[in-house]
Amino acid sequence: MISPYRLLHFTRCLAVAAILVGSSVNGDDSPPVAEISEADLVHQYRERCDYVIDQTVANTDPNDLTRGSNFTIAANLFRGANLDWARERLRLSNDPPTGAMFWMHPMALLMHVGREELNEDDWAFIRELWRTYFPYRGDTENHWVMYYVSLYLVAEMFPDAGPEAWYNGKSSVEIMADAKEFILDWMRITTSYGQGEYDSPNYIEEYTRPMALLVGWARDPELQQMGKMMMDYILLDYAVENLGGLYGGAHSRLYPRYLLQPGMAHSAAHAWLLWGQGEFSSNGGTLMIAMSGYTPPSILFRIASDRDKAYVHKELKRTRWRFRHAGPNAFEVDGKSTIPVYKYSYVHPDFILGSSQGGLLQPIQQQTWSLVWREENLEGKSNTMFGLQPYSSPIEGTMFFNSDWDTVTDLIARSKVDYDSPDKLEGGSPYEQVFQHEATLIALYNIPEGTRFPLISTLFSRDVNRRVEDESGWIFGQGGPVYIAYRPFAPGEWKPVDWTGLLKGGAGAWFSTGFKELSEGSECLVSYSLKNGYIVEIAPVSAYETYRDFQEAVRALPVEVRLEPTPRVRYTNLDGVKLEAEYGRTPSVDGENVDYSSWKLFDGPFAQAERESQSLEMIYGSERYVLDFKNRSAETSVVESE
Amino acid sequence: MKRTTIAYFIFVLVMGFSPLEAEEESTLFIAFAMTKAQEASSIPTDSGIYLRSEKDNSWHRIGPVIQSMNSLAVDPSAPATIFMACGNGIVRSKDGGETWRMVTGWRESDFLKIAIDPENGDNIYGTSVWGFHLSRDGGESWTSANKGLNEKYCRTIIVDHRNQRRLVLGTGDGIYESRNGGESWTRVRSSPESAILRMDRSLNNPDLWIAGSEGEGVYLSANDGKSWRPVAETLSEANVYGVSLHPENENRMAAGGWSEGLWVSNDGGDSWEDRSSGLPSQNVTAVVFDENHPDRLWVSTFEEGTYYTDDDGKTWKDGDLYGAYVFDLDFVTSAKE
Repeated sequence: MISPYRLLHFTRCLAVAAILVGSSVNGDDSPPVAEISEADLVHQYRERCDYVIDQTVANTDPNDLTRGSNFTIAANLFRGANLDWARERLRLSNDPPTGAMFWMHPMALLMHVGREELNEDDWAFIRELWRTYFPYRGDTENHWVMYYVSLYLVAEMFPDAGPEAWYNGKSSVEIMADAKEFILDWMRITTSYGQGEYDSPNYIEEYTRPMALLVGWARDPELQQMGKMMMDYILLDYAVENLGGLYGGAHSRLYPRYLLQPGMAHSAAHAWLLWGQGEFSSNGGTLMIAMSGYTPPSILFRIASDRDKAYVHKELKRTRWRFRHAGPNAFEVDGKSTIPVYKYSYVHPDFILGSSQGGLLQPIQQQTWSLVWREENLEGKSNTMFGLQPYSSPIEGTMFFNSDWDTVTDLIARSKVDYDSPDKLEGGSPYEQVFQHEATLIALYNIPEGTRFPLISTLFSRDVNRRVEDESGWIFGQGGPVYIAYRPFAPGEWKPVDWTGLLKGGAGAWFSTGFKELSEGSECLVSYSLKNGYIVEIAPVSAYETYRDFQEAVRALPVEVRLEPTPRVRYTNLDGVKLEAEYGRTPSVDGENVDYSSWKLFDGPFAQAERESQSLEMIYGSERYVLDFKNRSAETSVVESE
Repeated sequence: MKRTTIAYFIFVLVMGFSPLEAEEESTLFIAFAMTKAQEASSIPTDSGIYLRSEKDNSWHRIGPVIQSMNSLAVDPSAPATIFMACGNGIVRSKDGGETWRMVTGWRESDFLKIAIDPENGDNIYGTSVWGFHLSRDGGESWTSANKGLNEKYCRTIIVDHRNQRRLVLGTGDGIYESRNGGESWTRVRSSPESAILRMDRSLNNPDLWIAGSEGEGVYLSANDGKSWRPVAETLSEANVYGVSLHPENENRMAAGGWSEGLWVSNDGGDSWEDRSSGLPSQNVTAVVFDENHPDRLWVSTFEEGTYYTDDDGKTWKDGDLYGAYVFDLDFVTSAKE
């Protein structure tokens, strides 16, 4: 006999399937983005939320007490399902607690959604955990946000609790005051100077999770409102560089598997839940959003989905705080050092080419530039291209981490096992400078003698097809709906993306799991010239009658390269724009220097925000949605057509 | 490592609250993270602060278990008041370790060292990766005080017990001095230019100071920190994580660094000899002479254990903690049992 719950779940699955089939935003039959009603959007979104929760519950085996995270327990409590299992699993999986803020936030979720289901013994067990387990607050932005939001929300549940109730010896009142101050300060800094851990397809959920907690369960109206606004802000940050669930552009942090297959990243799971793009995948962040009751404003859907026209979108971010070696470009925010990150993305209906200026902008996992292109089915697709100088150094380590010069590299590589490898696929370099104008990207490298890994590497994934090494010096290829032209300034050699010799036995298991499937058939062009660089020129297949036509057009472009004393290139791109870049100097477009001093926090057709404004305007057609963090307000308006 | 109750150490630390009335005793502490077994993870398998018991010659945990615990300080004028320098901030006990409270807020974190005014326990000083912090109310509230510092990264600090308004600070670009209780700082001209990793001051001769630096080796001052000169030429480019001055013999001193092992001078720093042949690793992260056994010298190696010698390095005895990355190894003063 089918249980009522499973029947309900089955019915919901059918509903979601019908909605997904009937209103695919990218399908030929779908209505224009602007014409889908808000009511329909909300209805479809709510169905997907139910589906996310139901899937989690459906995948719970109530006879298996060895599996099930606090997220899973929370989903079951939320639905009132498998309660005996949930109660028992709660005790088994939290004895003892581990993971610091990664334990705190799903526990806070569990406590809130389980209010009605947890009994006195359950609460006694949970309260004892908070009294005795002293979680580390962590060493990076996402850690701190998760830590303080979780702490706030559990203290708010017991507002009269004294210092004896909590691991840190503070009362609930003290905890809430401290945590709230942090949360609001983080929002102020982010909306004034940009996020430090910016635009990560991985770590986006480490921000959406705590914001979902605030939206769903904060009793403090100010924090709930600010949490909702900040969620909108983070999702807008993604939406403007989204292509059917792919998070394009330059990223602060990315793990290798998501570098190679962008469609696997957590951001893709968010795009499915929020905007109905791509395929469903199980994800803690989306589960938390689904249970929180958060509803994204419809303008986010429209911005994330409308790719009728190509556009340039620029953003100003900042580096993670620099403890040491802050450098001449550093500025301070409340006594903490950072430097600006200038992001530039060209978002085309078929692809996104995006970049930052290069340099050490983020420890370990930076992606300075990337290309992603649209694919109908993302499964198994390595629809990306990027380049790097694989740099590792105690300078970088001690810049961002509280660790010693002689141990920092080793300790980083204990968890990020590829950090100290010449074969790695991510990371910033102080010897890399990148400049982009629309679909053209120029990267220059000036690598000193003695650098640990004196090479540069560019990924040509297995899904870059029809590769041609032309006599002209250009390398051509096709990735899905885009043609790629790559002009190296120095010779290189092809090397397979192969970590077989890199991964230590057992170490970095998560890194290496499935790596053969992820990387097989992909190659890197590796060049050992210390003075180096390349041009990347992208064009949609639809712009040329044949592949040959594209190649001929590129061959005809004027390119003037000089590598000594510092790399320099003068180049006219397919649109006839004259670009000039020299290592160590400001690049120019048609003879005019790029003005980094005027870079805004958000600057594109869909979003505008000035530096230090603490506000953001989202734009779609005549609709305006303004987040004003100074006044804690969010307002939608319609402007008269011009 | 034996596990005993904290109460044992409460007893040790709390016996006799006034140092004026009770005989003082020094207790060795160690702050570390167990990193050797840390694989595929950014989290050490254990971390904490331990005290060395003279009774059973073993280490005993003090305080809560928190990741990233870097140092310990005890208020000399109120030995039941204990401070821990942690990644989370500063954790304080006012009852000899029975209960603990985080006394810092979100703005203050990642502390590396704490120093307490020996005459006035309300003045607490903390160094952190974010800068220098001070409290004028025994740790209840904290203020950043970085005026005059070029780099905020602050690693170590010593309060001048002859002039409690004078503080000497080891920062990311050398040694700084404050004459006004930390309100402002002036760089000591002859200081190394690189990060100061460790400082010590002689108990026997307060004019004698020693500092270990990042990349510039060992520096010595014989005029109460007014001027510094490099010593130990062999270590002149080393990262020196451990330095210590003998508690009774001002001519005797030790320094240890990465890849350099342990070096000892018995002539006031003029000549240095390698004493590390019996150690399992040349990667030294902490060094300290034993205040209770002046001929004893303790050395911590990176992940290969902590050792001590009673015969000037001819033989080394296992002090346990294999696998630990030791951040601090030092003595706190308490009333004697």
